[in-house]
Amino acid sequence: MEQTEIIEPFQETMEEMYVNMGPQHPSTHGVLRLMLKLDGEVVTEITPYIGYLHRCHEKIGENRIYTQVIPYTDRLDYLASMYNNFGYVLTVERLMGLQVPERAEYMRVILAEMQRIASHLIWMGTFGLDLGNFTIFMYCFREREKILDLFESVSGQRLNYSFYRIGGMPLDLPDSFLTDCKAFLEWFKPRLPEYDAVMTDNIIFQKRVQGIGKLDQKAAIDYAISGPMLRGSGIKWDLRRNDPYSIYDRFEFEVPVGSTGDVWDRYMVRRLEMAESVKIVEQALRDLPPGEIMGKVPKKLKPPAGDIYSRVESPRGELGFYVASDGSEKPYRYKVRSPAFVNLSVLPVIGAGHLVADMVAILGSIDIVLGEVDR
Amino acid sequence: MEKTLERFYAAFAALGIPWIVPQLILMLVVASLVILFISVSVMFMIWWERKISAHIQVRYGPMRVGGWHGWAQSLADGIKLLIKEDVIPAGADKLVFALAPMVVFAAALAAYVIIPFGPNLIVRDLNIGVLFYISISSLTVVGIIMAGWSSNNKYSVLGALRSAAQAVSYEVPLVVSILGVIMTVGSLSMIQIVEAQQRIWFVIPQFAGFLIYLTAALAECNRLPFDIPEAESELVAGFHVEYSGMRFAIFFLAEYANMFTVAAIATTLFLGGWHGPLLPPWLWFLIKTYFIIFVMMWLRWTLARLRVDQLMNLGWKVLLPLAFLNMGITGVVLVLRG
Amino acid sequence: MTVIQVVFFLVAAFTTAAAFLVVLAKNIVHCAIALVFTFFGVAALYVLLDAEFLAAVQVLLYVGGITILLLFAIMLTSRISARGVRVMNEQVGMSAVVVFAIFALLAIASLKGFALVGSPPPASYATASLGRLLLTTYVLPFEAVSILLLAAMVGAIILARREREKD
Repeated sequence: MEQTEIIEPFQETMEEMYVNMGPQHPSTHGVLRLMLKLDGEVVTEITPYIGYLHRCHEKIGENRIYTQVIPYTDRLDYLASMYNNFGYVLTVERLMGLQVPERAEYMRVILAEMQRIASHLIWMGTFGLDLGNFTIFMYCFREREKILDLFESVSGQRLNYSFYRIGGMPLDLPDSFLTDCKAFLEWFKPRLPEYDAVMTDNIIFQKRVQGIGKLDQKAAIDYAISGPMLRGSGIKWDLRRNDPYSIYDRFEFEVPVGSTGDVWDRYMVRRLEMAESVKIVEQALRDLPPGEIMGKVPKKLKPPAGDIYSRVESPRGELGFYVASDGSEKPYRYKVRSPAFVNLSVLPVIGAGHLVADMVAILGSIDIVLGEVDR
Repeated sequence: MEKTLERFYAAFAALGIPWIVPQLILMLVVASLVILFISVSVMFMIWWERKISAHIQVRYGPMRVGGWHGWAQSLADGIKLLIKEDVIPAGADKLVFALAPMVVFAAALAAYVIIPFGPNLIVRDLNIGVLFYISISSLTVVGIIMAGWSSNNKYSVLGALRSAAQAVSYEVPLVVSILGVIMTVGSLSMIQIVEAQQRIWFVIPQFAGFLIYLTAALAECNRLPFDIPEAESELVAGFHVEYSGMRFAIFFLAEYANMFTVAAIATTLFLGGWHGPLLPPWLWFLIKTYFIIFVMMWLRWTLARLRVDQLMNLGWKVLLPLAFLNMGITGVVLVLRG
Repeated sequence: MTVIQVVFFLVAAFTTAAAFLVVLAKNIVHCAIALVFTFFGVAALYVLLDAEFLAAVQVLLYVGGITILLLFAIMLTSRISARGVRVMNEQVGMSAVVVFAIFALLAIASLKGFALVGSPPPASYATASLGRLLLTTYVLPFEAVSILLLAAMVGAIILARREREKD
């Protein structure tokens, strides 16, 4: 084919290029698709496309009886299944006005905080992977394996536990759990400085994460950001403190906050939260009372007509469940307020104007789980 | 050595075969030996890298294939890559796509001409020695750009562009950092550089040069913390994202072959080449070279990746002025000592 | 025929073929890649002439520097690399005549003229003497070129800067 057009190269300008990042891409942490508008290496516009993992979670919930929803909540944030169970059963208990025995409350807190450590470990490892550090990933997974071993000894499962029940817990802790858990904590505490040696104190790491992806306090509130992202921006808001649920008001722990809201602050908040979770678990193990683990729950769960919104501080932020009951066995309306989804919504704001490499770090610092974003 | 060669040529001359035939045979033999060495050493390096990374990350790495600590793992991987389907993407520029791995590998192979494994173990002791390596290594970038562009993939184009920018920026401090050694020796020949280090290794008087060279060499090899052209978390795999099977294996081979070259040149220029007590020279040379390779692997599994602008800043604003300073000081010292 | 001659003809054929490709290829990226091979072939010819230093510098600067920047520029203006360009215009016949005339002239000149010049100077270790000459006899032109290049570099930076401010 003869082409006769004469091109004048000097009139061409640098064009902006669209790059499709995902749904199969190593650093979108699942099947997220980002349309990036690139000017050279600088990202000028980010458009997230979600829904690849949509499973009609909420609609399914409305067609199951209250107990049957629990296994579905596992699949929301599959890195923190315990917490999803926790949030859901708490919501239904509040709706029905059920009392939970002391021992079950303590068990819930122990498992939930261990889950927080496990979830933050995964985040830390994959964040290291985003920045090209493979070793921290292996370190974090080594510790997480031990936590999963503990969970397996309790529930028989390693990822989707479905272990919380409305009104209590289904099984008591195994005899070995107390000693195993204490041994793990003793072993885990010296690991944290090890992460600092590989990541936190590394000058390349610091240069990579400091000063990028700044999220100021106003934007954080406007976008309803929650969890470590919100605290990274310097707002001391932790539902365990500010809206205590279960028995969190009994424990002493700090709420670490950042100052500038950059990726470094978010990293440090999560890094410090792991140590705080260790403190909570230690206190809970010390105070763990003997006794019943299942409260008095009717055979058929039929909450009175009405609705309730109840929230917990999951490792990713405010995990809220809204349940409306019409007095039948199934929820009339069931809605999940997922923190990862809300936090992701701020990505186009804080990610634009950065280099591609920084955009990856910023996305990593949001800590999304696509199972929860898409529901 | 010389005598064997003469006898070799004489044998052919006696049979009335023109001189060109034995010369060609000799060339082929030497080239095959080099390729054989590259393949074996690369296989060893890959296995070694997996073992080192595994032990840094508190795991074992390959343990099954071959019995003892999975020593045959790279062999198995190589066979697997050989028998894989040869995939060329539909939108690719087929000719350039096929040519690119060859260019990259040819550049890596050519560099072995000047590596002095021992007093007589060098393919050719060129007058321009080090300069030859520096110039031939720039051909790698052309291959990378060809691969990136011909794949017809935005990620690979971005990787190729990054790679070109990185290679052009880091070649300058690399060249300037070794000038100190060349000025001291007064020759570019690899053999003469090694012989000049009989009393003291250049790593001691030229320590700054050594560090600058090592940093720039890491960047030239696209290894962490400078593996920006193939950063998997950003560009998936950079310029070779569309390559698979044997073509990918050739890129991989060339990458590790380059790593060996860079380490071998560091050994020659700064660590006294084959000099060392007791052990035979070639063994000393390999020990030193593999030590530098070990350091490179060690860094890779410890550090995070730099950003593009940080990489450029480091190259132009830190390494280059330091290299020039090193060169200037060396010059002043040489003039003062006469 | 010696090996050197065989190699010379191979390299010469390779270089000429690559040069033709530079001019005739429709895709501008192919042109640029062919240019790389042309430069490389020329460097090989230098090696055959015992000018190893020149060969190394040729590869270092032309292959490693100039063509890479060329490819860089082509790939950044993405619309050029995606399309073919027209390689011939209506004056192809006339220019062919001129080219062949010049080629004949050069051929005659090099066959007849250089025979009178005499044998080439003995091949010596060229790098050191080259450096000495540059810093003694030819130091003025050498420095003049350096200043020119510096000025060009500063100019390029200023141009690039201004462009960015406009945005």
